[in-house]
Amino acid sequence: MKSNLKTIIFCLLIFIFFSGFVAHKFYVSTTKVEYVKERKSIQIISKIFVEDLEQVLQERYSSRVQLDSKRETELDQNYLIEYVLQKLKFKVNGNDAPLIYIGKEYDIDILHIYLEIEEVEELESINIENKILLDLFPEQQNIIHFSNEKNNRNLILDKNRPNGLLNFN
Amino acid sequence: MKLFKLLALIVLLFATGSSHSQEVEKEERVPGHYNNNPFKQLYEEFSTPNQYRSASGAPGPAYYQQQADYVMDIELDDKNKKLMGYETITYTNNSPDVLDYLWVQLDQNMRARDSKTPLIQSSGAAPADMAGNFVNQYMGEGFDGGFNIQEVKDTDGKNLEYTINRTMMRIELPKSMKPGDQFEFSIRWWYNINDHVNKRGRSGYEEFEDGNRAYVIAQFFPRMAVYNDVEGWQNSQFWGRDEFALVFGDYEVNITVPADHILDGTGELQNRKEVFSKEMIKRYEQAIKSYEEPVVIVTQDEADEASKGFLNSKKTWKFKAKNVRDYAFATSRRFIWDMMAVKLGSRDVMAVSMYPKEGNPLWEDWSTKVVASTLISYSRMTFDYPYPKAISVHAKNQGMEYPMICWNYGRPDADGTYSDRVKYGMFGVVIHEIGHNYFPMIINSDERQWTWMDEGINTFVQYIAEQDFGEKYPEAITPNKKYPSRRGPAKNIVGYMSGDQSQIAPIMTKGLNTYNFGANGYSKPGTGLNILRETIMGRELFDYSFKTYANRWIFKHPSPEDFFRTMEDASAMDLDWFWRGWFYTTNVVDIGVQDVKKYYVTSKMNQQVKNMMSARGIKESDLPPLVYLVEEGSEDFEESMRTSTLDDVTTLQEYIMDNLSPEERTNLKKPSFFYEVTFEKVGKLPMPIIVEYTYGDGSSERITYPVQIWKTSDKSVGKVIASDKEITKIVVDPDEETADVDTSNNSWPKRKKLGQFDSFKKDKVKN
Repeated sequence: MKSNLKTIIFCLLIFIFFSGFVAHKFYVSTTKVEYVKERKSIQIISKIFVEDLEQVLQERYSSRVQLDSKRETELDQNYLIEYVLQKLKFKVNGNDAPLIYIGKEYDIDILHIYLEIEEVEELESINIENKILLDLFPEQQNIIHFSNEKNNRNLILDKNRPNGLLNFN
Repeated sequence: MKLFKLLALIVLLFATGSSHSQEVEKEERVPGHYNNNPFKQLYEEFSTPNQYRSASGAPGPAYYQQQADYVMDIELDDKNKKLMGYETITYTNNSPDVLDYLWVQLDQNMRARDSKTPLIQSSGAAPADMAGNFVNQYMGEGFDGGFNIQEVKDTDGKNLEYTINRTMMRIELPKSMKPGDQFEFSIRWWYNINDHVNKRGRSGYEEFEDGNRAYVIAQFFPRMAVYNDVEGWQNSQFWGRDEFALVFGDYEVNITVPADHILDGTGELQNRKEVFSKEMIKRYEQAIKSYEEPVVIVTQDEADEASKGFLNSKKTWKFKAKNVRDYAFATSRRFIWDMMAVKLGSRDVMAVSMYPKEGNPLWEDWSTKVVASTLISYSRMTFDYPYPKAISVHAKNQGMEYPMICWNYGRPDADGTYSDRVKYGMFGVVIHEIGHNYFPMIINSDERQWTWMDEGINTFVQYIAEQDFGEKYPEAITPNKKYPSRRGPAKNIVGYMSGDQSQIAPIMTKGLNTYNFGANGYSKPGTGLNILRETIMGRELFDYSFKTYANRWIFKHPSPEDFFRTMEDASAMDLDWFWRGWFYTTNVVDIGVQDVKKYYVTSKMNQQVKNMMSARGIKESDLPPLVYLVEEGSEDFEESMRTSTLDDVTTLQEYIMDNLSPEERTNLKKPSFFYEVTFEKVGKLPMPIIVEYTYGDGSSERITYPVQIWKTSDKSVGKVIASDKEITKIVVDPDEETADVDTSNNSWPKRKKLGQFDSFKKDKVKN
């Protein structure tokens, strides 16, 4: 765990060395948020690099956290859900809206996390706070793609501005 | 009278075509403008062709390149982690210019105490830092990893005057070099080797718990800078991230390391009998005849045994390499070594892997096979691999390429298990770095200026090689049916291209100045070439042109225009619009169906034509017989039109009877459905419109409208479709092959697919 932190901080603040091949090299997550009126539901899919997420969970909880390998434990999953629900927050029409965790799946190096907000009769405004990985990577950008039947709106959230408000009236 | 009718008709038809523009009456005079058409030719962006570089994209009649030949004696001091060298460079001036000085690159000075690299990294205060790191950063002097230049001498042993400007050294020539002159000089140097794992970097060592190190050594010797017709001296400093511009030459390199080390590097080994055991020679003889399975030259047990020794005695490995632009090697007691032969044309080359046991079982299973498969794929797309071997060396967390040798990551967990992420990471990086032998090692572009020319083009061929590998070794990618390539498929670049414009640079930007280096230098150009191949040019035209580029510039230094021009020259396709849109701008593709109108054919004059005629004072009798289109739901529309056919349109039937032979008549198509489809282009980047029309009977057909459909209309274009079947669905870009950033406008009628979320949730509930 220690050497990991060292590597990361070294990487970020001192030299950034890049090699001939980049695994992903830019720190971005994307979250698709869709309001489906007929089902009164806000559907959320967050896509995050597994490597980054594994690192942050190792830093915060335990150096033994392993994602997406045969050794991923139930505890690792719980850490993951706890972290995501702590860092991703929604306000719907001005009120805190609880996120329901639906599940997750791995697409090789990217994790897809499925979340839902139920019982949204009308959507007048939505406030999204996404602090995922901001605690580890200062240059992390969390991009939000919002859509309903009329609108496509984007938010780019980062350390300086981790939340954004979308109004629909 | 006939003439009058014709003129009236022309007026009428012309008026119909431009009815849109009549609706908007401009009150103020609009100022003029330059040519902003997306199909504008690239004369202003491209340099003028000349004697060195032809307009065709081929090297011109006066093309030249410099030559730098090296003889080097290198010694590794394993105990003190030092590298020492003595090199003699023979530099040949093939340029028509007189040179007064030479520039030599000192890349290791990026690690010197006075390096300016840390000064250009913007930093923030870290909330926590390792104590050791803190000392290093704020309290100590820092690691001293720069070159110590001990002497620079000419052949008479006289000191040459030199000036070091950070990572570049200017050597004053005692006598100016005229065209064709050769100059020989020598440099003696040493430097401290860094830990490439914990302090990052491409060259250095990884230290293991048993005290052994695995060295991967590169950009380790003073190297000649490039002098050419485009840049003069390529003297852009080395800041750490950017890569290289290097001259071709022949190398003779003797490397002295502890006697129990296993070493491999660029070039052909000259003293195999001195450095191999008898058993190793025997295995090697098997390996050069084994085309299917690698033969292990040094086993894991042997490497384990060697790791205990720490011998003081030394051994010298001697190599010769012809026509390479660089030199690199790897050495350790811990290396396991395997090889197999690959047949390419009439030649055999060796696919080689070197790895510590930490790489197993992944590495012994796959590395050498990936190397072999990659060489075959790249040879097919360009030319047969001209070097005698290609080595994949395991390095903990980096991938980096040099001639005939590269470092690759992909390390299983300590218990030998590994995730798909590690496995595909390893396959991908080996294919990528081995592929770099072509771009830029042999097709030697200037990496420091143009990241896309090596990384982007290489990422494109990597995609093809990944797909080939998946087909050749299905057991490696199971349960996937196709190799899951990250980069290449058009839809994978949409996330980047649709992002925040302030964080996107055009591809034609110096590598160091881009924001998202990976997406900009690798994915976007790689994907662009894949779109060109699969969607715009087709494989036959693309592959021929791409091969032409590779063969024109084999062992030469191409510039971006040489690539762009060759692709057009060999295919007879004007691709300026694509280079402009995809490489020179950050524009995006967004094409959709704006509107679909249904029409019926009648011989009864419709209101629109009546209005136009009365405005121009034309009488119906002035016109020849006409066929009229009536929009469904318009004032001229009558329900009976739904069931009428072309046979009911008297003007048409009369024309057919009077002008066509009975045979011609039977061959006529009888469309009964007419549509006007309007396609919108919301994004600035033009693309062919690929449309799938689905009909009432469930059948479908695809029509691709060439990109030139946008030549005079940048916003929307209309198409009239005459069909004998009703159209029920229209989808633009049905296979998502154009990197359309917003597909919500791609279907008519607007259709909602069962999204990723719903299908995931459905599966979840089912289980």
